[in-house]
Amino acid sequence: MKSPKNRYLLFVLAALTFLAAILTADVGPTYAVRNCRIVSMAGPVVEKGTIVIRDGLVESLGPADKIKLPDDAEVIEAEGLTAYPGLISAHTNLFIEIPQGPAEPSPFEFESASQQPQEDKYPPGPGLMVYDQLKPKRTAMESFHKAGVTAVLVAPARGIFQGQSVLLSLNGEKLEPMVIKNPFALHINFTTERRAYPSSLMGTIAHIRQSFMDAEYYAARKAQYEKLLIGMKRPEYDPRLEALVPFVRDKRPVVFQCNNLEDVKRALKIIDEFKLNALLSGANEAWRVVDVLKNTAVPLLITLDFRPPMTSQYTSQGEELRKKAEAEIYPANAAALAKAGLRFALTSFGLADGAAFTKNVQAAIRAGLSRDEAIRALTLQPARTLGLDRRLGTLEPGKIANVVLTRGELFEEKTQAVKVFVDGLLFNYEEKSR
Amino acid sequence: MKKTILASALALSFAAGSAIPASIASGDILIKNGTVLTVTKGILARGDVLILGGVIKQVGENIPAPPGVKVVDASGKYVLPGIIDSHTHIALAGTNEGSGAITPEADVGTVINADDTGILTALSGGVTMVHTMHGSANPIGGPNVVLKMKWGRPSEELIVKEAFRTLKFALGENAKQSGRTITAGQTQRYPATRMGINAIIRREFLKARDYMEQWDRYNKEKALKNPPKNLVPPRKDLRLEVLAETLRGNMVARCHSYLATETLEFMNLAKELGFKVACFEHAWEAYKIADELAREKIGISVFADSWAYKMEAAEGIAYNAGYCAKKGVLVSINSDSGERIRRLFNEAAKTMKYGGLSEEEALKLITINPAIQLGVDKIVGSLEPGKQGDVAIFSEHPMSAYTRCDMTIIEGRVYFDRDQILREREEAAKRAAAPKKTGGAQ
Repeated sequence: MKSPKNRYLLFVLAALTFLAAILTADVGPTYAVRNCRIVSMAGPVVEKGTIVIRDGLVESLGPADKIKLPDDAEVIEAEGLTAYPGLISAHTNLFIEIPQGPAEPSPFEFESASQQPQEDKYPPGPGLMVYDQLKPKRTAMESFHKAGVTAVLVAPARGIFQGQSVLLSLNGEKLEPMVIKNPFALHINFTTERRAYPSSLMGTIAHIRQSFMDAEYYAARKAQYEKLLIGMKRPEYDPRLEALVPFVRDKRPVVFQCNNLEDVKRALKIIDEFKLNALLSGANEAWRVVDVLKNTAVPLLITLDFRPPMTSQYTSQGEELRKKAEAEIYPANAAALAKAGLRFALTSFGLADGAAFTKNVQAAIRAGLSRDEAIRALTLQPARTLGLDRRLGTLEPGKIANVVLTRGELFEEKTQAVKVFVDGLLFNYEEKSR
Repeated sequence: MKKTILASALALSFAAGSAIPASIASGDILIKNGTVLTVTKGILARGDVLILGGVIKQVGENIPAPPGVKVVDASGKYVLPGIIDSHTHIALAGTNEGSGAITPEADVGTVINADDTGILTALSGGVTMVHTMHGSANPIGGPNVVLKMKWGRPSEELIVKEAFRTLKFALGENAKQSGRTITAGQTQRYPATRMGINAIIRREFLKARDYMEQWDRYNKEKALKNPPKNLVPPRKDLRLEVLAETLRGNMVARCHSYLATETLEFMNLAKELGFKVACFEHAWEAYKIADELAREKIGISVFADSWAYKMEAAEGIAYNAGYCAKKGVLVSINSDSGERIRRLFNEAAKTMKYGGLSEEEALKLITINPAIQLGVDKIVGSLEPGKQGDVAIFSEHPMSAYTRCDMTIIEGRVYFDRDQILREREEAAKRAAAPKKTGGAQ
């Protein structure tokens, strides 16, 4: 017989073991979302279905009468709601917090020669990890949730060789649990350096090419040296080129930000010259180069930012014309690409928040993009392009439980996301009166 | 390509006065009954120009129109070769790589902006071809590019591949940055003097010569039966590659230059280092060294007047272009401006008053002469069978103060038609005045 004292000790021990198990395994909650319409993007629409979410993943889903509600699940009544895979924005600058740099110079500054740029001082660029610059903010995350976005690619925002991006699942306020992949890609923008080389776009193009040439040369010298070790002078270590080597040698992905139709052609030339594994982002004038794009397999991350670029004839002839072009011409970009049979992901790049994103998806749809194409370009397509299609992009058993429940069909005028699951964690958003 | 035209046409439909003409497709056109100024083969008082497939087929009288070919009636008008601007900066996204003194890797051919409305402005003044250049901020700027003013076409179709590959140099005030205010914490860029400019250009070319030798040595060793395992190639340097191309004679210098002294110095430097100078830009003191320029067969590309806008332009004279032309220097009149480009014919005409050139000689300054300077005189610059069908039609003689350009044609396609634009502008005004029906885009 055990004494009461022993029994008490045993109880405490058991309780502690149980607590420890919870703490180390960090098991997420289990939910059963029932009686919702399910648009899984992996099969036909289920009109009245159930989705079981367990520990961050979709456990099962299907017609309500075929899916058993687990005993331990919190049941969520979702009658009248539609479930979609969480949307993915494959290019954002979300959560970036960097010390305020010098004020933006006027575009005439170099012309008036009031600033003396420094020659040949290459900023560290390619080795920068945007992860180190991120400070997650609840309001920013919620703004994306309300627009249905649950996963984002966060790219650095400054410079020519901007640095390397990270893929996040927007599941809270702590950075580490959000990371899906870090680093994801090297990001390059056709811009100029301030008060440094290069200060012109043509200098930038030469600088990008020279940098990749140097990286190839550096990698080749290192390989040659490793082989010989004797009888050859040691190549000098260069941290900037070290950071570039994986992109020229191991074909890790490079994203080119294309600010106008010419940037698309410029990027394709460089991609071809250095045989890069590349993606094009931005490209809100892509419709003007569909014939060029049809001849490449380079994936497209098309921004929903409809502001005409600085080079546009609509920008140089006054604000009225610029606004008209922003409202009437540029929203039709995605529709034109779809019509030409091109595959693309849509992104929120350049847009202020989730509300602006939703507004612009709706504008793209009004300009001729079908709603289905829009959803595809924000789920399946970015998942494929980012190499996440076994984990995200559709609602299927075993995939990450990023699920958006809306009242009304996604992207329709009065539709709201009311329940958002990210990595199986539930975020409730109050419905505004309709 | 079809899509691009369509997109541009759609885009243009609400930019007043910038419509794509209807006849852009074929490249076939017959211009009838105009006074034809061929520039190189005399004047036809009442002549026709037939262009088929973009190329001038025939220049003569009473040419019958082949079936299906668009006919333009030029009765009472003047038909001349499309005007060529030997020095401008339009249709570019950026002109100066201002961060350093030596930037030959910064090639303006990589930043063509075919959406620049400066192209339309040029077309409205009968300009069909431009040499659009790197700026003058650096002793050695970058490669320039020759473009046709094919508004609405993709940028790569504008490039004239037959033209010389030219490299921009600059001497004097702009390159030594005399005007730059140095604020606290900034340093003056080297070079800050004319002698420094001369020195740095020599220094860079000697580097390039050394670079070429390194490659020669490497290629020789690499070609050996058993090249050494520790053989290391030189680093490929885009900056020195361009200078090497210039030393090999595959590129020619176009040098921004004001004073006679520095111009002569540059000629000596080019001789010493062994590269070819095609032309001096602005060259306000060329009249002082006209014999030397003529002897060395180096052209000048200049303004007609408007000198003395800075110290080094103080000794400019309006007689410069006309005087040098009479001395046998190959002279062109340039715009260097997105505005002056629409009235280059007025500028050229000034050489008749100052310098005493004839109408024919003055017209050459903006047609065949710049064509020779750019190495494209075999394909443009005059109206001759076999040349490309680049034509401007003017209301009066182009050297008259009362003239205006009515139509500009490139390779047989109409890119500017004043009547059509005025018509469309009127219609647009009418539409704007009419009461609105239901709103919204299509």
